[in-house]
Amino acid sequence: MARRSPVKVIGSRLVQALPVIVLATFMVFSLLKLVPGDIAVTLAGDNATDARIAEIRTIYGLDRPFLVQYGAWLGHVAQGDLSQSLLTGEKVAVSIGRAFPNTLLIVVIALVLALITGIPMGVLAAIKPNGWVDKLISMLASLGVAVPGFWLAMILVAEFSLKLNWLPATGAKSFSASPIDAIRHALLPAIAIAAYGMAEVARQLRGALLEVLSSQYVRTLHAKGLSMSRILWQHGLKNVSVNLLTIISLLVNRMLAATVVIEAVFAIPGLGSLIVRGAIQRDFPIVQGVVFSMVVVVIVVNLVTDLLCAVVDPRIEQ
Amino acid sequence: MTMTTRREALALISAALAGTTLGGRAFAQGAPKKGGTLRISAPANPSSLDPATGGAGSDHAFLFTMYDTLTEWEFDTLKPKPGLAESWKFTDPNTLVLNIRAGVTFHDGTPLDGEAVKFNLDRNRGDAKSNIKADLLSVASVEVTGPQQVTLKLKTPDTALPGILSDRAGMMVSPTALKAAEGGVVTRKPVGAGAYAFVSWADGEKIVVKRNEKYWKPERPYPDGIEISIIPELTTGARSVTAGQNDLIYQLPPRQKAIIERASSVKVVHGPTLYVFQIFLNWARPPFDNIKVRQALNFAIDRESFVKAALAGLAEPAYMNLPKSHWAYDAEVARLYPYDPDKARKLLAEAGFKEGTPIEIGGYTDQDSVQREEILLEQLRKAGINVKFVNGTVAEASAAFFGPEKKGAGLLSAWTGRPDPSLTYSLMFTKDAYYNGGRAPVPPELEAAIKESRASEDIEVRRKAFSTVQRLVMENAFVVPLAFQFELVAMNKKVQGYRPNLLGKPKYDDVWLEG
Repeated sequence: MARRSPVKVIGSRLVQALPVIVLATFMVFSLLKLVPGDIAVTLAGDNATDARIAEIRTIYGLDRPFLVQYGAWLGHVAQGDLSQSLLTGEKVAVSIGRAFPNTLLIVVIALVLALITGIPMGVLAAIKPNGWVDKLISMLASLGVAVPGFWLAMILVAEFSLKLNWLPATGAKSFSASPIDAIRHALLPAIAIAAYGMAEVARQLRGALLEVLSSQYVRTLHAKGLSMSRILWQHGLKNVSVNLLTIISLLVNRMLAATVVIEAVFAIPGLGSLIVRGAIQRDFPIVQGVVFSMVVVVIVVNLVTDLLCAVVDPRIEQ
Repeated sequence: MTMTTRREALALISAALAGTTLGGRAFAQGAPKKGGTLRISAPANPSSLDPATGGAGSDHAFLFTMYDTLTEWEFDTLKPKPGLAESWKFTDPNTLVLNIRAGVTFHDGTPLDGEAVKFNLDRNRGDAKSNIKADLLSVASVEVTGPQQVTLKLKTPDTALPGILSDRAGMMVSPTALKAAEGGVVTRKPVGAGAYAFVSWADGEKIVVKRNEKYWKPERPYPDGIEISIIPELTTGARSVTAGQNDLIYQLPPRQKAIIERASSVKVVHGPTLYVFQIFLNWARPPFDNIKVRQALNFAIDRESFVKAALAGLAEPAYMNLPKSHWAYDAEVARLYPYDPDKARKLLAEAGFKEGTPIEIGGYTDQDSVQREEILLEQLRKAGINVKFVNGTVAEASAAFFGPEKKGAGLLSAWTGRPDPSLTYSLMFTKDAYYNGGRAPVPPELEAAIKESRASEDIEVRRKAFSTVQRLVMENAFVVPLAFQFELVAMNKKVQGYRPNLLGKPKYDDVWLEG
């Protein structure tokens, strides 16, 4: 079968993404409107009166039918405008532009940490299944999955910030302004998120490697006299690279979600804090904007993963 | 208004004593010096930096740095004192003359004169976007009667105005900036005449202000600027102070005191505030349409124990809506509801209320609120009252109770207090007030007494009027006050001159940084 050009693949995938974006933002919008609580009350201030709240609804168009409000938002998005916060008037694009790099830096560092610890663990565990190394790694991996990120985060802060004073306890710095300072701020939250990633990578990799190692061509390699470590690092890893890519893409999505809690613990003004603030205040343009950008990120990550998988393993049909 | 009564004198003495015991070290330091940046951890992003259009009570901590008010208040008693208005006088009950301090300019150089004050007051009471129209309802017109003088003609006598003008309604915004601003609102580009001028605001992240070099108060402000980081998670905010990333955090929950005091670099001060935890009641329908059930609830609560168990002792038991140190406090009213579970049971029996019938009351989901609920449940159970708390987020549960849904018989929440007590009462205890959840009528003599409290300037007359108001509110048991929360502020030891105030919204007037 002839292979389709990557451009076409990307194009068709992006078209498929549109309904996903509409569906996701519509569902979140509906949820925000369904739960009780009303931004008009917040907007009306401390000395609110019923009349003032009604007046606010009219001023901000909150009295329009639900679908009209969603349609208006979508219309703006189609024109490249994520509109603005109902409360503070800040452009949602500006808020996201400022928050996104903070979240991205944490996720990238967490991913790197998860891989440089998780991959060796997975390989070591696969060398001698059920040996003591494997058991130890399995235990560590179980721990990594079981320990809640926010708890680990607080332990890390208590030890490395408050006691040893090595790393800052809260906040974020701009990467473009001072990369080293930015990484110092992002390191503890990244470690807190990476623990789960490390465990996941180690476990999945071990499983995939064991499957490869039991295949016939590995037996042949053994017969040719190749050492176990060469088989593993040269042939084994290459064969599980598709699994690994899939794990990574799932991890990126999961880590993005984990930042919601971790950012609160470290007072990091990222996407997670932004969406929490928007949701609590019922400031729906903010929530919609963040959901929109997160959906886009997930779609892009999945797309890139698919493309990479095809590069690594040409057997995968587009 | 200058007469000092015995109670005020006592309040001042106790405040002075509190000062020596709590902040002794803070005040023992050398002379204030200029310089440095004060770094603050704040719990919430402001709703707006335009005083007229903002909504949240937490905004003031930002607004006070940038905007000066026509009047100010005494930190300990909230009695109004001169601010941008160097004096004021009711020439007759329906006329208030404000004399504006000469030579003050806004941050953009616009002179702060009679015209500027008129522009602001007219905007606050008339603009469609203004959230504070209700504060100035009594004002019929504002006239400029001199270069530095405005005269307010009133529809009804309103002696609450000097207090009201110490809050949002009295925050002066540069008319030049307002006229140039899009939509006539300076939400994101505030220009005031306060001690600090606006520099930047990144939503949910940080607000930066710098010293106003032309500020009218001599020598002030001391720091070069203030950086306020917005950290909603209070535990995290407290950590930022112990770790030295911030210098000061306010509005800490009591449980944080013991934790933060372990850090050797940090000192803690606290003081009483008007912020009162209370159960709002819907007296439009059963069971709280029956006065005896409402009174029973008030007798069933052991406020002293509540303060110890739920608030680590850092609060004052509340028997009415004003704390002891307030100028309009009435000790007689405070004696109406001693802890008496037997009396509560008796009242319930008289009301024909079947013991153990569940009463649904709304509440909030955060850790501290739930802890307060647990203690109340236990206390009420002893009086045979079976409360079922239904929790939601603050926005959700509040809207459900006060809004059209009318959910629950009550709401465990709080009232943040107002500079003049008459606002507190008219916002909660008049027929159509939003914070009267059931929009149910109140006795006509209560509404009359609230009006009366605004009719005279004589503080003794006002005090009497408020006694009547407060007695009627509590005899009718329209609310269950629980405790006045102390303001709890933790700061680095280098921060000097910070004083808590009774309003519970921080002002940094005399703060300076050592070293």
